[in-house]
Amino acid sequence: MAEDLLKKETDDMEELLEDDSQKGMFMTFQTGKELFGISISYVNEIIAMQPIAAIPEVEDYVKGLINLRGKIIPVIDVRVRFKMEPCEYTDRTCIIVIDVKSTMIGLIVERLADVDTIAEDNIAPPPSLGRKEHEHNKYVYGLARTGDTVTLLLDPEKLIRQDDIVAAMEEVRKEEQS
Amino acid sequence: MAEEFNTESMLDMFLYESGQLLEKLEGIILEKQDADCFDDADINDIFRVMHTIKGSSGVLMYDNITKATHKLEDVFYYLRESHPDDVPHMELVEKVLAVSDFVTAELDKLRNGDTPDGDEKSLVEDLDEFLGRLKGEITKQGIQMPQANKHVEPTQFYITPVAGEDSHFYRISIHYRSDTQMSNLRAYSATYALKEVAEDLLYTPDDILSNEASSDVIVAEGFHMLLQTKSSKEEVIALIDSSEAEEINFDELSKEEYGRALGEFGREEVEPPAPEPAAAKDNGNKEAKKEGPKPGDYVVKTKEAGKGKTLAKNQPKQQSIISVNVEKMDALMDLIGELVIAEAVVLQNPDLKVPGLELSNFQKASGQLSKITTELQEVIMSMRMMPLTNVFQKMKRIVFDVSRKLGKDIELEVIGENTEVDKNIIEHITDPLMHLVRNSVDHGIEENPEDRTSVGKPAKGKITLEAKNEGGKVYISVKDDGKGLNKEKLYQKALDKGVIENKPMSEFTDKEIFRFITLPGFSTKEEVTEYSGRGVGMDVVVKNIQSISGRLDISSVEFEGSEMTLVIPLTLAIINGIVVQVGNSPFVIETASIKEFVRVGEDSLIHEPSGEEYIVLRGECYPFIRLNERYDLPDSIDKIEEGIIVVLEHEGSQVCVLIDKLLQEQEIVVKPIPSYVRKVKGLSGCTQLGDGSIALILDIAGLLMHDGERR
Amino acid sequence: MKILLAEDDFASRKFMDKQLSRYGECDVMVDGEEAVDAFMMALEDGEPYDLACLDVMMPVMDGYQVLKAIRDIEAQKGIPKSKRVKVIMTTALNDERNVKMAFELGCEAYAGKPIDVEKFEKVLTKLGLI
Repeated sequence: MAEDLLKKETDDMEELLEDDSQKGMFMTFQTGKELFGISISYVNEIIAMQPIAAIPEVEDYVKGLINLRGKIIPVIDVRVRFKMEPCEYTDRTCIIVIDVKSTMIGLIVERLADVDTIAEDNIAPPPSLGRKEHEHNKYVYGLARTGDTVTLLLDPEKLIRQDDIVAAMEEVRKEEQS
Repeated sequence: MAEEFNTESMLDMFLYESGQLLEKLEGIILEKQDADCFDDADINDIFRVMHTIKGSSGVLMYDNITKATHKLEDVFYYLRESHPDDVPHMELVEKVLAVSDFVTAELDKLRNGDTPDGDEKSLVEDLDEFLGRLKGEITKQGIQMPQANKHVEPTQFYITPVAGEDSHFYRISIHYRSDTQMSNLRAYSATYALKEVAEDLLYTPDDILSNEASSDVIVAEGFHMLLQTKSSKEEVIALIDSSEAEEINFDELSKEEYGRALGEFGREEVEPPAPEPAAAKDNGNKEAKKEGPKPGDYVVKTKEAGKGKTLAKNQPKQQSIISVNVEKMDALMDLIGELVIAEAVVLQNPDLKVPGLELSNFQKASGQLSKITTELQEVIMSMRMMPLTNVFQKMKRIVFDVSRKLGKDIELEVIGENTEVDKNIIEHITDPLMHLVRNSVDHGIEENPEDRTSVGKPAKGKITLEAKNEGGKVYISVKDDGKGLNKEKLYQKALDKGVIENKPMSEFTDKEIFRFITLPGFSTKEEVTEYSGRGVGMDVVVKNIQSISGRLDISSVEFEGSEMTLVIPLTLAIINGIVVQVGNSPFVIETASIKEFVRVGEDSLIHEPSGEEYIVLRGECYPFIRLNERYDLPDSIDKIEEGIIVVLEHEGSQVCVLIDKLLQEQEIVVKPIPSYVRKVKGLSGCTQLGDGSIALILDIAGLLMHDGERR
Repeated sequence: MKILLAEDDFASRKFMDKQLSRYGECDVMVDGEEAVDAFMMALEDGEPYDLACLDVMMPVMDGYQVLKAIRDIEAQKGIPKSKRVKVIMTTALNDERNVKMAFELGCEAYAGKPIDVEKFEKVLTKLGLI
């Protein structure tokens, strides 16, 4: 049943991908109570949950590695990434494989919601509390309103890169000193 | 090599041949640098190298190369004809190298698709002045002056095509209004206008003039063109008549996209004619097959509007050696890696483990399959192997340059330059090796010959560069008979720089002390010289070597010399490994680093009050790591007598590791852990196992280092 | 100067015609056989060409065949080397073996397409045509 659903989603997606106008199209998924959206141009494919090889000593949200037709890609749990309580993986749980600047990464999400077109006008920047330390940590670059629901739009580049950039900067700094 | 060139194009050939000649030239020069003069054979060789490069660069009209090589050719012409004595040999060597460097630099520019615009004037003037002196010498010695070297202007020229770089590639789609009359003629006028600037133009539908019905197609589906041109987007747009057009889509494509788009437009690349596969069947008589093109091979059959040309005759062409793009080799290598995995998936398939299966035929067939995949691996490996000759040649040049600059008299001995290693590895060791050689010349060999003779060494310094292949590893060592490393100085320096812990010197072994020089922020020389210590230290060398799973060994005796040895694996991609299990996770350990597997009881375990554990085996005490605790692996065996102890060795240090059970021995295709994941000490990569699951590869060096740090 | 241009591709022909017409009168042929005919005719009229620019991939006869035919005709008529028509091959076939073959067949220059106009002019100078 879940497989069928996924297949349908994937087919839908493929149709969409063939279309030139991916602009404004978002893959939405639910994790916890919130609805998240990610621009479809980043999405490579959606696969069912897979056995994951855990890697020791890494951040808790990095769940490990999966084997995607011979390609080894890391997967991260979106809930844990957002510092939410991890949830049980069910047969609705799936992995969204995204490709950000040719880095492939799998996002584990509780369940897929839909593919939505969100008009530019309906996207508002997230309310800022004016606190500086939050500035650099914005995976959510916009809030989209469709009817009663609010979708949090994610910036995948920030989502996957943030910490690494900090770490890389530190490395560079160390290099320079030596 | 730059990819924008077709292989074997005229320019490629020139670059290749000239490169080879220059290498040969450097070989001669460096071999004879210490001699008193060049012998006749050398003079002849050098003359011919210059003559050839002068000739071919003349045909291709690279005037600066022609002029420089021409001058040097002249010099050697006089040497060859008149055999004057007292030629300043060292100066001559420098002149040849100067020309060789100049030409090499120009060739590099060409390789990168740039214009060879180096200025040869000062070089030529320099040579002129030298030639003048040489001629004076000839007259003075009363030797008859030979007739002037006749310089034959080339009569045939090759005009290299304009680099494709400046060409733009566009895909243009015109959609006309639905009521447009004779849209096919409008489309035609667009193509006609574009032909003014087009280097290549394809369009669809392609029968716009001959088929009136095409106008309906154009209105319905639009008119699509592929254009290669030097003109800018604006210029092109200005050429297209946009009246009646509803919409014009204009996309700039990359060269690759354009190539792909050609296929959509029904064009196949027509040149050069592909070899006919059938001809490859008769593999005897290779000589006869090396036929070149002949007049008449390129008669065009017919040319349809808007389509590419097809040749009437597809002459098969054969060659016994082909050059292959390295990327393709890498792709093949990856594929073979996948094949090895796929083979394991089949042969270890759980379906085969159903009891009562009759598998004797399967076993036979799988045996055959394994044999073939192993052979396939060996073949691709051997294709990737290259001798170290070129790398060593570069080192000779460095020793020559640096020792001349520093005024040191140094002899270089080279052993085993034919040792072969994987091409990827060659790329990675050149820079580190260069650094080591420079270091030896600069810091290793004494400044003053007196410092050498006073301790009973010959005044002339000696550096030995040696490569050998032993037990699946390549050893490349740089040895000098210089002053060696002073342990006290190293220790003091390391303390001052704060790169080590404050411990008494006696607590460090010699090896550890020598290794200080590889620590970041450590450099024994106060002043930075031109040749070593230009900001990149030994730590960079070590990092580079580690990136290809190699290591650097240092040994030294003060006043006698030092030896730096790079130990690198023959190949990177496929290793023999043992798959073990800890908890639910499989790990791979390289077979070569495993000393033994043992089962021991609780009584062999020594507990330190600090929580540290050791294992005593046959009276020897080894450090002990519980992998499950180290990596927090649940559901694993804690009782030492239930698990298995693996004794691992790396660079002489040993460690015991507790695992749950052994799974199997297997050839492992090493894949990097995706860069997104933070680097974990003790893990060097990952691989895919027979059942498709992923196992992490243990890195013994990292494990040991980690252990040391924790203490 | 009298120029023979053989080129079957319209776009290239238009381009080359424009370039060459700056140096002299330019006759344009669209296939190999026509080119040889034109060369023969000019020879018989006593007004031979000074320069021939030959495309390689052409219908009926390819550029190499034309080059060979031209050199054969010249040899047969006993025309001395210095009086021969200067031939420049123009083609995208930049294979070293193709170039060598053309040189052996006796062309003066071999220009890879797209043609470097600057160098092309330089060659014309070196050949003493302009």
